[in-house]
Amino acid sequence: MADRTASAEDDQSEFSRFITGLGRGVAGALFFALPMLMTMEMWYLGFYMARERLLLLFILNIPLLVVLAHRIGFEKTVSWRDAARDAVVAYGIGILTSIIVLAALGLLRGDMSASELIGKIALQSVPASIGAMLGRSQLGDEDDDTEEKATPYHSELFLMGVGALFLSLNIAPTDEMMVLAYKMTIWHALIVSLLSIALMHGLVYAVSFIGGHELSPETPWWHAFVRFTLPGYVVALAVSVLALWIFERLGDSSAIEIMVSVIVLGFPSALGAAGARLIL
Amino acid sequence: MTKQENRRQRERQDPHWIEWLTGVVSALLVAAMLGWLGWEAIMRPTTPPDLSIHVVSTERAASGYRVAFDIANTGTTTAAAVTVIGRLIQDGRVIEENPVVFDYVAAQSKTEGAIFFRNNPAAGEISIQPAGYTSP
Repeated sequence: MADRTASAEDDQSEFSRFITGLGRGVAGALFFALPMLMTMEMWYLGFYMARERLLLLFILNIPLLVVLAHRIGFEKTVSWRDAARDAVVAYGIGILTSIIVLAALGLLRGDMSASELIGKIALQSVPASIGAMLGRSQLGDEDDDTEEKATPYHSELFLMGVGALFLSLNIAPTDEMMVLAYKMTIWHALIVSLLSIALMHGLVYAVSFIGGHELSPETPWWHAFVRFTLPGYVVALAVSVLALWIFERLGDSSAIEIMVSVIVLGFPSALGAAGARLIL
Repeated sequence: MTKQENRRQRERQDPHWIEWLTGVVSALLVAAMLGWLGWEAIMRPTTPPDLSIHVVSTERAASGYRVAFDIANTGTTTAAAVTVIGRLIQDGRVIEENPVVFDYVAAQSKTEGAIFFRNNPAAGEISIQPAGYTSP
């Protein structure tokens, strides 16, 4: 009898924890995806972007969410099965939040074609689902953070990629990004790329944020620069290329023009990558 | 590897060789990119937008005839608000004239557009010319 009440209480608390997790997921999705939900270019991309690229983005997002869930998750996820379940839940929250917000803003109407409706929702659900996943980590309790935790090198690079993807999804679809690339000379691009690298290194190692990284006094500064900052910048640039390609921003341009737009987008990407190292 | 204690993380002092390999490859990539940009910045002359148009196809459409064309900018500066005017000329007389505006034609890039004509272009001669641009 006593056993049964205890297990019922357990069920109750697990259920309410799950509901809290869902609530945090919705909050995270809104926090992170609202800028994109309210960006004109994102609505247009929803109907004109190539369907195979949209599909690729949609599918790429699944392993990304699973790995992210494995690391932060809604609840303390231990196994990959739990991580997969959390990823599905986050994707569901992302899709539902996108539908509700897009509909509330009058962007989904009955007279639109199915392809336009689905395209808009699918595109917005990617950042919204990442936001839903991060909602747990950023808005939730930090109970397990005091214990010693080691981040393997590859997951450090992966987290930088997630941070970079997140900020590039915000900026890649906007026209401002392309206008900047058109206005800049190659000298400007050179300065922006040096600035990105310097900020990336500075944010993580120099300014001592909570969650920042430090070096042993006897390690020279360039060790971390070569092992973390430069690979991080390469990851950020690679993510920028992917984002530009998915949003059809590369066009039929010469290599140097493409490089300039990649560096422009690489600036927020690099900051996103550095931010991810601090936060996640 | 990075160890995390009390939210401050300390890089390990005895990294795996793969970390150094990744680091060195990345350093080479970044150096190559900066070197290339520097080379182009010094060597590439700044030339104004130079626009050329090449007609790709003429086909029937719901509202007459569609003449699709490519517009290429061989200059190293981007042109904005590029106005292109298409004329249909028959017996030395312009019988139809339609404009189209491109938001941007990026430097050293190509983009596509089309102009509609009500009359059959096969009966006359088509002339599609860039009329002007602004700087972005």
